[in-house]
Amino acid sequence: MDEKKPDGIVLTEAQKRSRRQRSIAIALALGVLVVLFFAVTMVKGPAVLVRPM
Amino acid sequence: MSVVDHNAIDLGPRISEAEVSDYIALLKPRVMSLVVFTALVGLVIAPVHLHPIIAFTSILCIAVGAGASGALNMWYEADIDALMSRTANRPIPRGRITRPEALTFGMTLAFFSVMTLGILVNWVAGALLAFTIFFYVVIYTMLLKRWTAQNIVIGGAAGALPPVVAWAAATGSLSVEPWLLFLIIFFWTPPHFWALALFRSDDYARAGVPMLPVVAGPDATRLQILLYTIVLVAVALAPWPLGYFDAVYGATSLVLGAGMLALAVNVYRHRDGIEATRATRRLFAFSILYLFALFATLLLEVMVRAVVPLVW
Repeated sequence: MDEKKPDGIVLTEAQKRSRRQRSIAIALALGVLVVLFFAVTMVKGPAVLVRPM
Repeated sequence: MSVVDHNAIDLGPRISEAEVSDYIALLKPRVMSLVVFTALVGLVIAPVHLHPIIAFTSILCIAVGAGASGALNMWYEADIDALMSRTANRPIPRGRITRPEALTFGMTLAFFSVMTLGILVNWVAGALLAFTIFFYVVIYTMLLKRWTAQNIVIGGAAGALPPVVAWAAATGSLSVEPWLLFLIIFFWTPPHFWALALFRSDDYARAGVPMLPVVAGPDATRLQILLYTIVLVAVALAPWPLGYFDAVYGATSLVLGAGMLALAVNVYRHRDGIEATRATRRLFAFSILYLFALFATLLLEVMVRAVVPLVW
């Protein structure tokens, strides 16, 4: 029986590794952003809603 | 007959192999560290108590904003970066990251740093950070750098703004003290970068960047370095007699200023051979120490006051 070749682009190991690294970095950056917004909201309390220009 | 040689064009999709370290290099980490340090000083000398989390957020946003500026600078200058030995190893000339990728990365970071600073800290600081990024990328990188020998004089304003942004983050307003820090960095920039340009003038000439040594020659540059150093030393000393910073800062500024001036005179006097190169390199290296030590003095004074208030 013939083995089916995968369609489309096949990533090399180096491409897979660097893509995974970049994905983890983006996830970490988003995580930091979420924690930052949460922490500042806790620190400011109700004052977080006061927004003088 | 077709004029396009399709064999010469890679029509396949490009899969990035860029690693996280390549993107970190786009942020210009060394410039970023100086920005973080000067911003930290602007933050701690502000006469307000700032919650550590707000202080951390402010510095982080300023650092990311500086990184965004670096990435956008590399996006625009990829052509001349490839021609200069100092910059040929940057991620875009090396082919690790494409220009559109750098543009997207820089714009994303610029947007998030400004919005986060504005929303979480205050909009005076957010607006100032946006202006700083705009000034560095549009005014300096796109307009001034390839057009005039005064590029780093005017463009130096962008590098001088971080302590002002940080002060605004702490206080929500502006005052004389952050502008004094601004002036110190502003007048420090020309002697520092012209010293670098003197021993890298071949690089700049090859890339067609009209740095002062390329346009006006090394001797005129040496005179300008000396004149700007005189102004710098006076500006850096002035906050002490004016009563903004105290005697410890004044004494440090005096000693460091004397060193800076002596090295600038040395650069002016030695115009040929190995002595000239050595004098220029010494001034360049000392100028980094000069700025760091001046700002570190202000930082240490605040820390000492906080730790041992009875001494003061």
